[in-house]
Amino acid sequence: MSSATVGDLVSQPYKYGFITEIETEKIAKGLSEDVVRLISAKKEEPPFLLDFRLRAYRHWLTMQEPDWAALGYPPIDYQELIYYAAPRQQQKKASLDEVDPALLETFEKLGIPLSEQKRLSNVAVDAVFDSVSIATTYKEKLAEDGVIFCSISEAVKEHPELVERYLGTVVPANDNFFAALNSAVFSDGSFVFIPKGVACPMELSTYFRINSGDTGQFERTLIVAEEAATVSYLEGCTAPMFDTNQLHAAVVELVALDDASIKYSTVQNWYAGDENGVGGIYNFVTKRGQCRGARSKISWTQVETGSAITWKYPSCVLQGADSVGEFYSVALTNHRQQADTGTKMIHVGPRTRSTIVSKGISAGHSSNSYRGLVQVGPKAVGARNYSQCDSMLIGDRAAANTYPYIRSQQPDANIEHEASTCRISADQLFYLQSRGIGFEAAVSMMVSGFCRDVFNQLPMEFAAEADKLLSLKLEGSVG
Amino acid sequence: MTAMGTPVAVASSDPWSQALLSSLAPAAGPLEAVQRRGRAGLTHQAMPSRRAEAWRFTDTAVIQAIAPQLLQPAPEALPACGEGVWRLRLDGGEEALADQAWPAGLTPLPGPDLELALGQTLADTGGREHWPVLLNKATAPRVLALRVRGEVAPTLELVSEAGAGPGVLPVRVLLLLEEQARLTVLQVHRSGGANLTSVVVEARLGRGAHLSHGVLAQGHPEAALLAHLAVVQHPDSNFDQVSTAAGWGLVRVEPRVLQSEGSAATSLLGLQAVRGQQLADTHSQVRFGGPDGTLEQGHRAIADGAGRSVFNGAVQVPQAAQRTNASQLSRNLLLSDRARIDTKPELEIVADDVRCAHGATVSRLQQDELFYLQSRGIGVDQAARLLLRGFCAEVLAALPAAAAPWQPLEHLLDQEETGDPEGTGDQEETGR
Amino acid sequence: MIRSDAPILLEIRDLHARVEDQPILRGVNLTLRAGEIHAVMGRNGSGKSTLSKVLAGHPAYTVTSGSVLYRGADLLALEPEQRARIGLFLGFQYPVEIPGVSNLEFLRVATNARRQEQGLEELDTFAFDDLVQERLRVVQMDPAFLERSVNQGFSGGEKKRNEILQMALLEPLVAILDETDSGLDIDALRIVAGGVNQLAGPDTSTLLITHYQRLLDAIVPDFVHVMAAGRILRTGGKDLALELEERGYDWVDAELAQPLAGAEVG
Repeated sequence: MSSATVGDLVSQPYKYGFITEIETEKIAKGLSEDVVRLISAKKEEPPFLLDFRLRAYRHWLTMQEPDWAALGYPPIDYQELIYYAAPRQQQKKASLDEVDPALLETFEKLGIPLSEQKRLSNVAVDAVFDSVSIATTYKEKLAEDGVIFCSISEAVKEHPELVERYLGTVVPANDNFFAALNSAVFSDGSFVFIPKGVACPMELSTYFRINSGDTGQFERTLIVAEEAATVSYLEGCTAPMFDTNQLHAAVVELVALDDASIKYSTVQNWYAGDENGVGGIYNFVTKRGQCRGARSKISWTQVETGSAITWKYPSCVLQGADSVGEFYSVALTNHRQQADTGTKMIHVGPRTRSTIVSKGISAGHSSNSYRGLVQVGPKAVGARNYSQCDSMLIGDRAAANTYPYIRSQQPDANIEHEASTCRISADQLFYLQSRGIGFEAAVSMMVSGFCRDVFNQLPMEFAAEADKLLSLKLEGSVG
Repeated sequence: MTAMGTPVAVASSDPWSQALLSSLAPAAGPLEAVQRRGRAGLTHQAMPSRRAEAWRFTDTAVIQAIAPQLLQPAPEALPACGEGVWRLRLDGGEEALADQAWPAGLTPLPGPDLELALGQTLADTGGREHWPVLLNKATAPRVLALRVRGEVAPTLELVSEAGAGPGVLPVRVLLLLEEQARLTVLQVHRSGGANLTSVVVEARLGRGAHLSHGVLAQGHPEAALLAHLAVVQHPDSNFDQVSTAAGWGLVRVEPRVLQSEGSAATSLLGLQAVRGQQLADTHSQVRFGGPDGTLEQGHRAIADGAGRSVFNGAVQVPQAAQRTNASQLSRNLLLSDRARIDTKPELEIVADDVRCAHGATVSRLQQDELFYLQSRGIGVDQAARLLLRGFCAEVLAALPAAAAPWQPLEHLLDQEETGDPEGTGDQEETGR
Repeated sequence: MIRSDAPILLEIRDLHARVEDQPILRGVNLTLRAGEIHAVMGRNGSGKSTLSKVLAGHPAYTVTSGSVLYRGADLLALEPEQRARIGLFLGFQYPVEIPGVSNLEFLRVATNARRQEQGLEELDTFAFDDLVQERLRVVQMDPAFLERSVNQGFSGGEKKRNEILQMALLEPLVAILDETDSGLDIDALRIVAGGVNQLAGPDTSTLLITHYQRLLDAIVPDFVHVMAAGRILRTGGKDLALELEERGYDWVDAELAQPLAGAEVG
């Protein structure tokens, strides 16, 4: 069995590529201080936020777009992008019944029913369409426990003191080129606040949908877990098929205080472009969590299958003593996709621990890189890290690169890194086939097996979804 | 894939290089043309700074403190060389290389052949315009260029002794191994003061050839060593390198190996030890130009005091290199809370039927191992020494036998024992 | 058990096959009826293992001429998984390790694929657990092996037991066991052979591929075929195996020399 045949399997048409016909309010394209002020005014923001945006914008003007990852993409003209688009709808509706049915239908088509009768029983969903949150389910039920789950725009209005206290404290506005851009123009995203001692009673989830073709996406997510609070949060992403590229530059900040625990899962399936690399999302995202408190824990799980280019390193700054950081990742690339992803584990406090499990699958002409940093500072006595990075290659034109970087300044720390490369061998496939398991099922079974350590980390409700997503990517006609 | 790093927009030299260039006599001798090219290169390219990705952790302050002039070596006594060893000093005058009664199988390369071959391997492995190489080209007055036929019985020992004097000591070697040739080389670089040893070695291995290459580098806290090694291997050849370095203010070892058509075996073993303010850096690069090649790479580092150890190991497996089997392991001991380890494997694979594994560990001595020895009545200092010795011995044992008179282990462990006052303080504390 | 009126399960006619450019099978003829146990013996390189791989549909082997009928229908036209689903089983000489894929999950998917073909309802995880516990007894296998990845880290004997467990679950009509005895100590051999004997019945047929007599002491064949140079050179009863054990294979060379020389002249 030639591996080219296996390669054929990884060619599944994108199922979420439809466009919703809906009237959209957009501002004129281009970026200037006036545009930043306009966005802030449209969202009726308090002065501190306008100030935050303007500082970020002025800093951004002084920054260079980074090129160190050796990713190949044509230069982005930031004056050709539209920085604000929203479905034309006056106010966020109090009840879902008032939301434009076309939007509800869109999310239903994407497998995210929002209406009272159909919605998932144990998952609260915030649905973000282009730049704006259109609905959040179970808000009242969550409020009973003091949990705040809403769009960040609402949070700015209803809980400005919380937003002001935490926004930009994990990812400063001047952190990097794309974070600065996001800080200047971010539109919407989710806000989660779990008060002291509360275990969030249900899974929280945000579903991001890009609809407009020429709009940049700049969501901002902020999750704060106070002392001994726990929460599990999942985001999902899809976009229509356009033959142009869309920029998605989100910022996610997580804050965990003493004994708090945040689990953040991502199933990313933005449109990846066609088999010749035309179109697709540029996914340049800054995600960082700060374990501020002692014994706090932040766990990132990501399943990355979409986007033309993915460039993200969900990271943990382990400040609190005995705090724990985790990163579990599956990245599947095909055709001309490029994924450069990994994590940074910054061990600051004593006895901090981190675990990294990364599984990269490259097919077609794609390029899949793991780039990671484990840094142990001089005060991180007794810190521990274990990293494992495995690559699976499908076909002989795909690239799998591994750049695990370790820096330690603490003798009483243990850092271990292991990596391997494998492929699906013809003998393994034949063995499964000779037991009656079809070719596609056999490939899918082995890919799932390869990713099992990561899927096990996903919330139950979504593990099956991730497995299905991967199978979808692997499904197709066998030659 | 685009190349790492961006080209410097305005190329210019740096004061140290300029001072060195102006101290040099006009280009002359057998390498006149090479010297001219090297000097031209140095006027356009500055000494690497930490802004360049490949030098991010390598501070060249030690070099800047060295007198920018050629070293005038004073003859130093060397330990007697062992049996079956054929020693050659590469730090003396030109006459040292002429009129040798060469062992069977070794012939100096005649002028026209030399002109053809010199620099070819550097070009093949992409190091021709690399600053340490330019520095060597600009300064080296001669080259030891040998053709190797058949099995060469004695170990070829190539010694450079910089002594305590100031300046730059360039060493350049070219080895052409014909088909089925076998040679063992031990290169010894020693320094006892503020000077820079600049080494460029090129080796080409014909089909079935076997080169064992040992490097023993014993330095001084004010001394620097820049050792660039370019190797091209043809199919069925074996290249085994064992490199150990300790005691240098700055040492940078850069083995670059190209298996031109794959199907060859490469083994790279390295050991580097730092303490005080020392910095040791290994930047290796192995590229497989065809299928069925193997690589076994093991790199070990010990960092004590405020020393820094850097390892960057690139392995490139392009599409043509099916059935490559490569492994790389970086093991690091961090013995002081002011020392630092930076380790970064870089695997780039575009072939599906390959086995590439790599790993890295950073830790102090294993507490359970220490405890085991202590529970048998061995004091903690001695137990630590024993474990360190074990950590080093696995690499040192792979050096050519000719290394023994140089007492490599003692040199390494002496480095561990003396030097840094804080280190001694620790020991006193535990002694009470 | 030989019944001349028993239905033919597998009929191999003048089968030629090669791997890459190397011809390995050069005209194999063999008929398996229900209830029969056949043994194919021969030296390394005689083509025994190739025969088993070709029957199971391994993609590295190309059939150049001849035919194989399974219950009267063309077997060679089917994908490997389809052959398994309709009741052909190959017990591998070297079962491959598949990291990450759970053995239990694998067994369940395979069993359900076969059951679906048979028109039986699929077993859910609970029903399958019951079935697999029962079948584990056939091979006296530790249930802990179900929790591991397929064959990963199994010893030689454990891998072979896992093969027979699969056979017990898939209930094939034709089971081909390729060197099932290799690498087994005497206890493991007894357990594996016991499993095969339990699973053989009046409606099924078994093809044992082996080097040695010792497996045939435990599983008594109705027919013994001697294979050499890609063909079946001689067929006899179980005594033929004893004769081979006694005389070795040297006589095969002598016999082989004649017809081959003749063939070359013709």
